[in-house]
Amino acid sequence: MQQHMPLDEVLMIIALGAYVVGALSLLAYFFSRDEWLKHLGIPLVIAGVVAQVAQLVARYEITRIWPLLNLYGSLSLFSVVSVAIFIYFAFRYRLWFAGGFVVALAAVFLAYGVTWNEGTMPAVPSLQSYWAKIHVPLVVASYGAFMVSFVVSALYLLKYYYERALGAAGALERYAMAGGGQATAPDVRAADFRVRLDAPNIASAAAAGNVTAQWFNTMPSLPQLDILIYRIVAVGLPLLTLGIITGAMWAHEAWGAYWQWDPKETAALFSWIVYAIYMHLHTRSAWRGVRSAWISAIGFMTIMFCYFGVNLWISGLHSYKV
Amino acid sequence: MTMLRSYYEEFVRTFGNVLFAVCLLLVWGLMTLAGVVVEQGKDPAEYFSAYAPPLARLILRLNVDNIYHAPYYVGIIGLILLSLAVCTFKRVIPARLPALRPVKIDKIPLNAAIDVPQDEGSTRARVEQFFRDRGWQIRKREFDGAEWTFADKHNWARRGVLVAHVGFVIIAAGTSVYWAKGFSGDMPVLVGQTVEVPHRRAALRLNGFTFKVQPIMTKSGMVYQPIDYVSDVTVTGGNGASKRETIRVNHPIDIGGTLFYQSSYGFAMKFLVTHDGIRSPELSGKTYFPGDTVTLPGGSRQIEVLQFIPTVDRQTGQPSSDPRINDPAVALAASAGGQTTPPVVVPMRTWIDVGDGWRITPQQYVMVSGLQYRYDPGVPLVGIGAFVLLAGLVISFYFLPARLFVCVTPQTRGCTVGLAAMTVKGYDIFETQFDELQAELRKALAPPEQRRTLSFAEAN
Repeated sequence: MQQHMPLDEVLMIIALGAYVVGALSLLAYFFSRDEWLKHLGIPLVIAGVVAQVAQLVARYEITRIWPLLNLYGSLSLFSVVSVAIFIYFAFRYRLWFAGGFVVALAAVFLAYGVTWNEGTMPAVPSLQSYWAKIHVPLVVASYGAFMVSFVVSALYLLKYYYERALGAAGALERYAMAGGGQATAPDVRAADFRVRLDAPNIASAAAAGNVTAQWFNTMPSLPQLDILIYRIVAVGLPLLTLGIITGAMWAHEAWGAYWQWDPKETAALFSWIVYAIYMHLHTRSAWRGVRSAWISAIGFMTIMFCYFGVNLWISGLHSYKV
Repeated sequence: MTMLRSYYEEFVRTFGNVLFAVCLLLVWGLMTLAGVVVEQGKDPAEYFSAYAPPLARLILRLNVDNIYHAPYYVGIIGLILLSLAVCTFKRVIPARLPALRPVKIDKIPLNAAIDVPQDEGSTRARVEQFFRDRGWQIRKREFDGAEWTFADKHNWARRGVLVAHVGFVIIAAGTSVYWAKGFSGDMPVLVGQTVEVPHRRAALRLNGFTFKVQPIMTKSGMVYQPIDYVSDVTVTGGNGASKRETIRVNHPIDIGGTLFYQSSYGFAMKFLVTHDGIRSPELSGKTYFPGDTVTLPGGSRQIEVLQFIPTVDRQTGQPSSDPRINDPAVALAASAGGQTTPPVVVPMRTWIDVGDGWRITPQQYVMVSGLQYRYDPGVPLVGIGAFVLLAGLVISFYFLPARLFVCVTPQTRGCTVGLAAMTVKGYDIFETQFDELQAELRKALAPPEQRRTLSFAEAN
């Protein structure tokens, strides 16, 4: 007798497929700027999100267990939330240029999550709480936001260092010749702050036909990228704060203390501190830009450590793998 | 006095500096990370087995094995609170948008000049109405005969950082309340045992304990998943009134403000100890926990109770991974004269000969409910602080205090509206909004026929 694949696994394959093809389309869009690739990628990515939400619902319907309480479930939620947050920012701030990278990362995490699928497992006593439905989505949503901010930070850093690699000497003059008119350097500074802070070397190299420079040149300016990172971190940090707070409330109910200095709690606190440092430094103009982008990128590394490092390598109260 | 003042000023300058605060946060973060990487509260020998001896010595000497309670960890949090307080009074509270004074509009990065073919008075009125309709608070001032209009939005949100800082302080205060007045601890209770509730005139009796484990076949093999731990207790208050309660994970009970939680479970053992066939009442009457020793009289011989084994694999005679109680046994090790024998698995109700006529028979196991108790009067304060902190973050991230400077200058034909914008977070963050705002203003100030053309052009 032929055995049918469960509905949730079919939906998972559809979601994964949609993400992979969507990511490839958006990556091709990033490099070619052919609009049709973007118009192909967007519906695919949205279809991936819809399929994944349906997968989570189907899994719940089949198993009657919230599919968030192990690495498979949380990674699935992580990828769908990061893509959903990305879609919001892409529509709101025209962020589609970063789509290929975000969706590709989400697909990688989802594929890795699938390897942890051990079948249906009821929750251990400490996870049998309504707090699981509040705390886990909040924390995972913050991780998703930080992943999007990480991608934009990485693109910022690539653009910044490419700009530097092109050489600082005579940059403004070259820019002025390529497209900025006859303005001298001080005039350019006074006339348009966007030029002052952006990438004149890339602009001139793009005008001269450098393909890589043309990719970077069609991205938002460095200050605009910096603000984008800030806006995304400003979504992630309150979510992480709320996640830690709800986690503390749950811990108070389950373990008798709202804070146990468990490795997961302290790793989350460390990530929170890194992003708090980001927010403090972003208040100072001298620290905006490349330094802030580095801190945002490091922040995501701490998130990854908190997510995988603590779950897989360090034993504690949060060691829920399967 | 002058010297004191200069010290004070230096202190305020240092602790009020954002970069200093960031350095403190960084140190705090790194210490926290050290506590994640280095396992906390272990036996010194475990550090020596896990790390190279010099590193293990360093870990122990620097208290990294218990870093979150080390004086320097508490100290750095204290310094952060101090810095936060100084920053709040020195920077956050005084922080404000510039005074209502004229500015050189073209020197502000976010600026625009809009030529309007209408008179100055009606244009000014329309500009004010335009901003008022969009929720801007309008104020007017006259400087050297020129009238300036100042439009503010979300000015109240300047207090967001202050609110976040206050939240942090409230959390710290709540934590201190626990240190001052709270208490907590672990309480393993045997089935049938009655214990005093610490600091309360009450007693708790464990009537029974049950646990439920479900065997599940996963893709990588059998997993025994714990499903439920339940303690059935009777609480007797100071007035003698008794009440039967159930304690489960996630469902603590409250005894006079002290919460009791289900945290773990275990097993204790009773043995029949005989010497030449005669029961030793002293050794046989005791209840032994894993780690306890049975010291046999008349020598240095000791029997260590290693662990209770719920199920012994019948084929191998070794402990099974099944935590359910099927074929229970006890692992014992004997030591004498400084030598210890390898562990031996002794099934229940079978005896083991330990020499010199001594026999030990594991006779009965008793379930132990691992309860935790905690009295923390600081919890409400910590909860309030957490939400105040969150509110502060939301205010400071999502509400941008901004000011527009508007000056209408008469020209030979009509007038020019000069517009500039400042925010407390720089210019870049407001760039898109400013572009949209000035485009809308241009449209609103355009003559009616031009407005129609614009709309038509936009529609296409």
